[in-house]
Amino acid sequence: MVETAPRSTGSTAGSDALVRLEGIHKWFGNLHVLKGVDVTLQQRDVLVVIGPSGSGKSTLLRCVNMLETPTSGKVWFDGQDVTDVRTDLNEVRTHIGMVFQAYNLFPHMTALRNITVALERVLKLPSAEAEDRARDQLARVGINEKANAYPGQLSGGQQQRVAIARALAMRPRLMLFDEVTSALDPELVGEVLEVMIRLAGDGMTMMVVTHEMGFAREVGTRMVFMDDGQVVEEGVPSEMYRNPTSERLRQFFAKVL
Amino acid sequence: MAVTEASRVDAEVAPDVRGPTAPLPATIFGLGIAALVIVIGGVLISQLNYALSDRELTQACIDASIAPEDNGAIGVCNIIEALADPVTSWSLYIGSLLGIAALVLGLAFYKRMDSERRRDQAITGAVFGSQAVIIAVALLWFRSATPGLFAKHFLNFADLEGYGGAFVRGARNTLILALGGEIGGVIIGLVLGILVLSKRRAVRAPARLYINFFRGTPLIWQLVTGYFVLLFGFGIRLSAFVAAIIVFSLNTGAYSAEVFRAGIQSIERGQMEAARSLGMSYFQAMRFAIVPQAVRRVIPPLMNEFVVLIKDTALVIALGLSAGDYDIFTTAREGQAATFNATFFTVAAIAYLVVTLPLIRLVNAAEKRLRSGLVGIAGAGG
Repeated sequence: MVETAPRSTGSTAGSDALVRLEGIHKWFGNLHVLKGVDVTLQQRDVLVVIGPSGSGKSTLLRCVNMLETPTSGKVWFDGQDVTDVRTDLNEVRTHIGMVFQAYNLFPHMTALRNITVALERVLKLPSAEAEDRARDQLARVGINEKANAYPGQLSGGQQQRVAIARALAMRPRLMLFDEVTSALDPELVGEVLEVMIRLAGDGMTMMVVTHEMGFAREVGTRMVFMDDGQVVEEGVPSEMYRNPTSERLRQFFAKVL
Repeated sequence: MAVTEASRVDAEVAPDVRGPTAPLPATIFGLGIAALVIVIGGVLISQLNYALSDRELTQACIDASIAPEDNGAIGVCNIIEALADPVTSWSLYIGSLLGIAALVLGLAFYKRMDSERRRDQAITGAVFGSQAVIIAVALLWFRSATPGLFAKHFLNFADLEGYGGAFVRGARNTLILALGGEIGGVIIGLVLGILVLSKRRAVRAPARLYINFFRGTPLIWQLVTGYFVLLFGFGIRLSAFVAAIIVFSLNTGAYSAEVFRAGIQSIERGQMEAARSLGMSYFQAMRFAIVPQAVRRVIPPLMNEFVVLIKDTALVIALGLSAGDYDIFTTAREGQAATFNATFFTVAAIAYLVVTLPLIRLVNAAEKRLRSGLVGIAGAGG
């Protein structure tokens, strides 16, 4: 699905980086949410962002596709400065899929239409091709039989899988996951994580904000621990679990593990 | 839709747990109903009795300044005579007494009732009783003044003969005025509603100015001035009727804009974010994701606005409409001017109710459906 570049494990900002966040600051009014964050994603990275609530990890994720505009700092996607006002954000966003905590499916459209609307209106695909693509993606996330159901008729897990299919149908080069299992009933978390694990296995570049520590350790190729708007620690998940270097990460693990 | 039907197809009936009744609450309930029936029934029976039998103009009626040569004098006289009839009087007195009894007993005992049903009956009986008392007292008071003069001017239907067609045409014109105004208003309102939500002040400000101007000045001033602005200002010569539709559209547009603004703002922020994250432009997101949802939510308030507009079209009376364009109210005024009989206005009120009551029911049903949360699904599927 995605070109096979070698998985990177280091955190050095190579020139072939898919995403580079440089010195990101974000203020909400007088609230300083991000205090100079630098993060880089290479192709095929699965970057897991963890941290206590209010640490700024979701805001950071939303800066990648500019749902939040950084107050200062630069966001590079595939060598393009997306914080430049001249950048066509709509075009950039077609390459960056995003999945939300609250699913955010369009409730007045069927599962199928949720997926085809952007294919037809943004990518300008003919409707037959859009439908083929949508059905294919629904099959991949295991709910092709629900194509004509409305979101209100689906379980949370099914809705979230439709939301993932909707993002994937655009054939993005990067997927952003914003606490996508947090709103789900416990018994429905597994089916969504399963889809994400398979996606990582296919080589998709992913940035995942999550509280699922098991997923972070198993699937993440790199991990960032944020606290109070800053990156406190960064590295390979298994290493960080084994010996967290900072006191704050030790305390965080003590609470969540 | 599936969900709606699922909630309706509910074969099992919940058990009635309101408990048995007892003589005392049943008596209170009965008293209340009897009071209402006697008061309303007595008045209706006398009125029908007088209306259906052949009668002469009485001296009492002549004393109440109803002249024998007046058109419809007998009909009006019957109304007053029936009001003064012993059947009416006795039913008002007896009904009041029963009503007071139901009220007193109900208030005294409802707290001591030991089951839901008994308490319901005691309270409902007291409520019916008080309603009977209020109606009886109001009628006794009304007939103690000069009901003859009122009946002569507002309940004399004899002069209306031959105006049936005029009222039907009036109702049609009223509906055309209101429907035209509402359609134009919804279009203007949707555009303005989106404009006032712009993040740019330069876009917001003129839209806001328009809305505040049309909400802040009297509609009757807009109607009268609008006609001359079109004629003298723009050199557009339109019939007063068409000019009125334009002004109603402009005015309704301002109110609809606020409705649409609130509707759009009520859509969760995540919907816009999801649409934008798929690469849609702001306007694509509005068109495909936000506005279709908002429109469903604003249907009840827009229908409500339509009901208001139907009544506001009566203001075209201030314009010089040509005879074929008369709305309900102007038709009534013309009839009244020709006959000096204000009963035309009574009929006008009835004509407005014939149009508005079904609509009001429809609005309430739509609101109920919206509150039940099924509109998102049913609206899209239907």
